[in-house]
Amino acid sequence: MHTQRRITPFVFLAPAVLVLAVVGIYPLIFAAWVSLHTYLLAQPNIPHDFVWLSNYLTVLKDGSFWGAIGRTLLYLGVSLPIQIALGLGIAMLLRRGPWGRLRGFARVALVIPLAMTPVVTGLIGRLMFNQDFGVVNFALNSVTGQTVGTEWLGNPNLAFVTILLMEIWQWTPFAALIFLSGLTAVPVEVEEAATLETRSFWAMLRHIQLPFLLPALTAILILRTADILKQFDMVYTLTSGGPGSSTELINLYITRIGLRGAFDQGVASAQAILMLVLTTVLSRMYIRYLYRGDNA
Amino acid sequence: MKRTALALSAAVTALLGAQAHAQSWSLAAAAAPYKGTTVSAIFLDRPGYKAAAALIPQFEKETGIKINFEVVPYESTNQRYVLDFTSGGGADLVLSDVVWIGQFADAGWMVPLDKFFKDPKLADPALNLKGFFPVLLNSFGTWNNKVYGLPFDNYSGLMYYNKCSLKAAGFSGPPKTWDELLKVYGPKLTGGGKYAFALQSRRGETQSADSFMRTLWLAGGSLIDPKTFQPTLGSAASQRGLKFRQDLMKYMPPGVVDMDHNEVVNAFNQGTVPIITEWSAFYPTITDPKQSKIGLNCLGVTTEPLGSAGLKPALGGFSLGVNSNSDAKKQAAAYLFIQWITAEKNAKAYVQAGGVSGRQAVYKDPAIRAKYLYVDPMVKSWSAGTAVPAFRPRFAEWPQISQIVAENGTKIMLGQLSTVAGAKTIDDQVRAILTKAGYYSGKKLKLQ
Repeated sequence: MHTQRRITPFVFLAPAVLVLAVVGIYPLIFAAWVSLHTYLLAQPNIPHDFVWLSNYLTVLKDGSFWGAIGRTLLYLGVSLPIQIALGLGIAMLLRRGPWGRLRGFARVALVIPLAMTPVVTGLIGRLMFNQDFGVVNFALNSVTGQTVGTEWLGNPNLAFVTILLMEIWQWTPFAALIFLSGLTAVPVEVEEAATLETRSFWAMLRHIQLPFLLPALTAILILRTADILKQFDMVYTLTSGGPGSSTELINLYITRIGLRGAFDQGVASAQAILMLVLTTVLSRMYIRYLYRGDNA
Repeated sequence: MKRTALALSAAVTALLGAQAHAQSWSLAAAAAPYKGTTVSAIFLDRPGYKAAAALIPQFEKETGIKINFEVVPYESTNQRYVLDFTSGGGADLVLSDVVWIGQFADAGWMVPLDKFFKDPKLADPALNLKGFFPVLLNSFGTWNNKVYGLPFDNYSGLMYYNKCSLKAAGFSGPPKTWDELLKVYGPKLTGGGKYAFALQSRRGETQSADSFMRTLWLAGGSLIDPKTFQPTLGSAASQRGLKFRQDLMKYMPPGVVDMDHNEVVNAFNQGTVPIITEWSAFYPTITDPKQSKIGLNCLGVTTEPLGSAGLKPALGGFSLGVNSNSDAKKQAAAYLFIQWITAEKNAKAYVQAGGVSGRQAVYKDPAIRAKYLYVDPMVKSWSAGTAVPAFRPRFAEWPQISQIVAENGTKIMLGQLSTVAGAKTIDDQVRAILTKAGYYSGKKLKLQ
């Protein structure tokens, strides 16, 4: 009886652990193994020799890899604060704003960009930002009264701005919805008590609401950072990483090495392992410095 | 005397035997053992595949073999094949781009078709390999003297021009040379939101093949030396080609580095750009009144302009081959389909359905030549001495090199790299790839 009680939890846990081992841990271990070997997918006749840390050295010496890392961090550094600021603003408006029935409609509307697959977002962006018949240039032409003809996707800087705009458009609603749920945790009586002390919006936000929003903020930071570092589909369909390499984020670059052209799985796996380290470090930093909860 | 008589008798017997075989062979009989077999294929969203799709029901009816095809975007196709092949699967019919044949053949993923040619039960006596344009069979389907695929979807670079726009600007015809396009047509046809020319240059195979390699060849340049395989982008001829492209950009739409085939064809169809150099395969799109404002009266099609190296048109296309991973039954059924869809007797139907056949005979038909304006310039472009079989190197390393060319080629166009610095960046990386592959140490045969 005693043995059975000891075994039962393991039996219940086993399927979850097994699934995790098969879909999570095994591929990770395999990627680590591949990163230490020659592994050219398109040249099956070349043996998978153990090459020590040679693939990692190749990655660390590769200027294109660091260029892609830099662009990805810039993409993260610009888009995430904007998503958070806009998301917080939208959440505050939806919580308190004089919207009436529009509030319900706005909440539903927020889900629409989130429900869209990134590939479709990229294709929509390609149409919207088309130089000749895109709606963005049409709007600019209407406002300025002249033919602007901005080459959104043909100019390296504007192409980067374009992928940023599409990223912000798609994922600001996510931040807004998380903040909106976070704001429901703010006790009404605390807010009412605080209004006796101050009428300042910023003071209320800083000292009353923000402490309750920290778990939501941490969740947004961790989830969006991981997602942005993994960004591929939207940018690939929108710009393919071009023009030049102006929108080639790290995941596009890893895919180029591992699944296109060279099909060099060894080097691509080394890149992926390094990215895993970066993502883990960033996530730990968020938890350590922002969310000082019980688990921190 | 007796020996001569015997030899003559043997020859006559063999001839009669062959004639009897030719008369007795039928597709239905050859396919009988494979009735009910399903053959899988990957097709592209292009006119040649729509044409094949229109003809497939006839093949299925005659043979009882089912052809299941899936449409995949071109840019994902190579990746899809490599992943499928390495996992031991893949479509039974292998659609090999001209620049994948070395990769697929070297890896042993395609069956040499000799195996089927020698099988009298499968080989159609009317196969006639010599009936294909030699450059297509050699370039798209042959690797190291073995035939792996038969030319199926065949392209030549052509110049499409808007006769009405040119006439309105005072021109009686299209530019004869690239130089004339740059110096005479460019300035006169550019202005007021319109541009003289558009060269599809989006990052990807479009940049490396349609834009970069095209401008190299027109000036007599090349990516590598055909004998030593040493990179040659720094040579005077290659630099001339790359600089020419930079000069020509003044007369192209500003966002041309992001324009793919569809965007360029659309710009032509909408009348924004009066001259483009595009694949012959886009003829059905350009002549489709639902997609084009130009109309047949204003459409002109001719060979690409002459460069300082003469006529060096872009060459591209696909062959159909057989997957080594497939079982024997599917391989045989797949071969029968390849043989049928590329057959001389079906070439006219294929062309009329919107495809571009690799068979020479069909283009001798006066009705076909009169109906399709692209035929004469395309045939001229594929003729011996004009076509460049290695317009892009076909070895296994090309997909990797293509990525490097695409990245740095667009950077050159954008002015982020000078032609000299861009050439050096590409040359260095190409040299490293070819060194690693073993071409310079003699470990690998210098085939392209």
